[in-house]
Amino acid sequence: METHNTEDVTLMEEVVTMMMEAFKELCSILEGNQISKDLFNFEKSTWRLYSGVYSLCRVNSNLCNSMMYSTYGDLLKEYIHGTLLQSLRLKQGEFFLKELVTRWAHYKLIVGWLSNFFGYLERQYIPGNSIPTLSDVGINCFTHMVYGQIMCAIASPAVISLIDKERDGMKIDRTLVMRVFRIFVELGKGSMDLYEKDFEKPMLDDARDYYSRKASIWISECSCPEFMAKVEECLIGEEKRGRCYMYHTTEKKLVSRVENELLVVHETELLEKESSGLKSLLRDNKVDDLARIYRLFSRVHDGLKLISILFKEHVTCEGMALVKQAGDHESSKKVENKDHVAAGLLQEAQVLLIGRFIELHDKCLGYVKDCFQNDSLFFRALKEAFEVFCNKSITATSPAELLAVYCDFILKRGGIDHGTTFEQVVKLFTHVNEKDLFAEFHRARRLLFDKNDSDEHEKCLMAKLKQHCGGLFTSKMEGMVTDLTIFRDMQKSFEEFIQSNSEANPGIDLTVTVLTTGAWPSYKTCNLNLPPEMLRCVEVFEEFYRSRTKRRRLSWVYSLGTCKIIGHFEPKTMELLLNTFQAAALLLFNSSDRMSYSEIKDQLGLTDEDVNRVLHSLSCAKYKILNKEPDSENISETDYFSFNSKFTDRMRRIKVPLPQVDERKKVVEGVAKDRRYAVDAAIVRIMKHHKVLGHQQLMSECDEYLGRIFKPDFKLIKKRIEDLIGREYLERDANDSNVYRYIA
Amino acid sequence: MEETTKKGDMVKLISAEGFEFVIDKKAAMVSQTIRNMLTSPGGFAETQHGEVTFPEISTHILEKICQYFYWSLQYASGKETEFHIEPEITLELMMAANYLHC
Repeated sequence: METHNTEDVTLMEEVVTMMMEAFKELCSILEGNQISKDLFNFEKSTWRLYSGVYSLCRVNSNLCNSMMYSTYGDLLKEYIHGTLLQSLRLKQGEFFLKELVTRWAHYKLIVGWLSNFFGYLERQYIPGNSIPTLSDVGINCFTHMVYGQIMCAIASPAVISLIDKERDGMKIDRTLVMRVFRIFVELGKGSMDLYEKDFEKPMLDDARDYYSRKASIWISECSCPEFMAKVEECLIGEEKRGRCYMYHTTEKKLVSRVENELLVVHETELLEKESSGLKSLLRDNKVDDLARIYRLFSRVHDGLKLISILFKEHVTCEGMALVKQAGDHESSKKVENKDHVAAGLLQEAQVLLIGRFIELHDKCLGYVKDCFQNDSLFFRALKEAFEVFCNKSITATSPAELLAVYCDFILKRGGIDHGTTFEQVVKLFTHVNEKDLFAEFHRARRLLFDKNDSDEHEKCLMAKLKQHCGGLFTSKMEGMVTDLTIFRDMQKSFEEFIQSNSEANPGIDLTVTVLTTGAWPSYKTCNLNLPPEMLRCVEVFEEFYRSRTKRRRLSWVYSLGTCKIIGHFEPKTMELLLNTFQAAALLLFNSSDRMSYSEIKDQLGLTDEDVNRVLHSLSCAKYKILNKEPDSENISETDYFSFNSKFTDRMRRIKVPLPQVDERKKVVEGVAKDRRYAVDAAIVRIMKHHKVLGHQQLMSECDEYLGRIFKPDFKLIKKRIEDLIGREYLERDANDSNVYRYIA
Repeated sequence: MEETTKKGDMVKLISAEGFEFVIDKKAAMVSQTIRNMLTSPGGFAETQHGEVTFPEISTHILEKICQYFYWSLQYASGKETEFHIEPEITLELMMAANYLHC
């Protein structure tokens, strides 16, 4: 039971009065003076106040305690109502904010002082009764009375409009803004809820509206690069803003909001702009603008996807244009000229095309490096684009062949930097699907004709190809190069051999190139009946070769040989450079002047096709060394041929060309056969490794394994699997027909 | 004293009888109440002059309190010594401690 003695009551009244007086004085001091240690002169000792409260509450009388507690609260409320709100009511805009900040500072002081005076309550009364602490009371009063109407309704919008002013270019008082938002944070008592709900959210919404407005204006007025430049500026500004005067978590949210408005919303429209969008920038080589676009869009989630798609489209487009150009060029030339002229121009066009491809490749690589910071997304786009048009045939000439033509061209040319050119070629080469086809064509071209080529360059090209595609790929080509190197030594030894064995001398200058089978394309060996002089040469060489190496068999390929023949014609003697076939045919006419087609054929022992070619080149082409009866354009089996003694030409030495059979078909067939073997080998290897494998997996492993050389056709793989099952290398699993087992 | 204090960083505690005890500020801060008063913003008389009057605490209690301050600092720095309290003064000492919150 509580008893109130009059002593207590009087004491209480005393204390309360004392408190009020002190409070009044405090307030007036705050109003009038600066808070500085020099000026302030508070006479009444705080101890007296403290002691008052102490002695009152010490007795643990609930009444006293609660009275003191509520007095405390009341004093605060009075301050807020009386001083704080009044002063704020009068101000607007920026002045309002300044006043607010000052008042808040004052309020905190008041709370601090009063907490000191009422400090005993903190220890005595509050803990036992689970009521808010004195500082909490302070905040609660403020929140209750001021927050709703002042902070949210007036302060937030005022601050936001200040920020917008800064965006428009005016200078604002940043510390002020920082102070205001600190109030929100402090009122939150540790949690950021108030700050986020009532300050951050409206601020972010406003930022979004502001930039969405700006963006719509800019998108219609500015070109793509201009827009991007503006965006970059804005983002830098917003980042600074976030760092300087906002809570650190806000910066990220703000920036991402702005990015959203400026970049994401308008991305498609911006980049696809007709005259200034991404594609035109690529065309015009605007490196800086492209780099900026990359930088800015890489900040946004998925922002780069569209760019890489457009990039890919652009590259594909350019490549296809080149392809089309070359195709048109080719077909138009074919219409104009005869075939043999067209052939030369054709090669020219092909070389040009590859050259242009290489240029395009370099340009695009440059873009990826300089503008797109070597992003793998763009490398992939480039690769896919090139794969599309690099593998398009140009009027039946496959790209692999084109590349082979180009390499041939480069290797024959001097005076250019072979190293870098080969690098470029090989880079381009990686996009071509049918790499093995290239290898075959390349081999077919690097024939024996141009032995005086620099081996250096060949080796250089080999090395680069080896780097990119592996040793297996280049092994055959390396074999070819090795043979050519050995050739010189071999020839010298042969000449020495002849000199030392005089009876072995065939009487004719003979040069032989020995090719290792397998390294070189398989040439038809035909049973040409050689004239006796040549036969002798062959025997001599065979003897020489046997003396050097044992256990090797030589097969002679006459179709590739060349002969120099002296022809005694009536006007003048001439020197003829001929293919061996042609030479053999002509030498027949040493014994008889006139022969029929069938006679020639029997004597030579060649096929109809070859005989046709040979006779055509000697009688119907540019140089009519033989006369044909009847004098028609084509060879038929009923024709008769006679030696044209009247034949002559301006030159003393002429080359009679023998058009080669179009090896192309053969090459392609050869490659197809090789591929079958390759697929077989791959399947067996994979199955041996895995023992048991499902169909899909097997397919994908094959694809991966062979992909370095050529793109395997799924039908082909399937067929080979069936074949292997037939040959009992594999079997189908008993339970699941989609699974294969390896049979050891 | 192990702690080094700046010269002049002292406070004066005045007992009911008017005795003045000049001690280090740091020692005085052991009392929460004193600490609050001395560190509160604004130029109160105490911070200005650096002296506090305790009209309700007698001299010998105040003396004991000051001894406690120093002992407390020693204890905090690791030295564990005994603080002896005469049983007669216990009650008054408790009340003073309550007031001063230490």
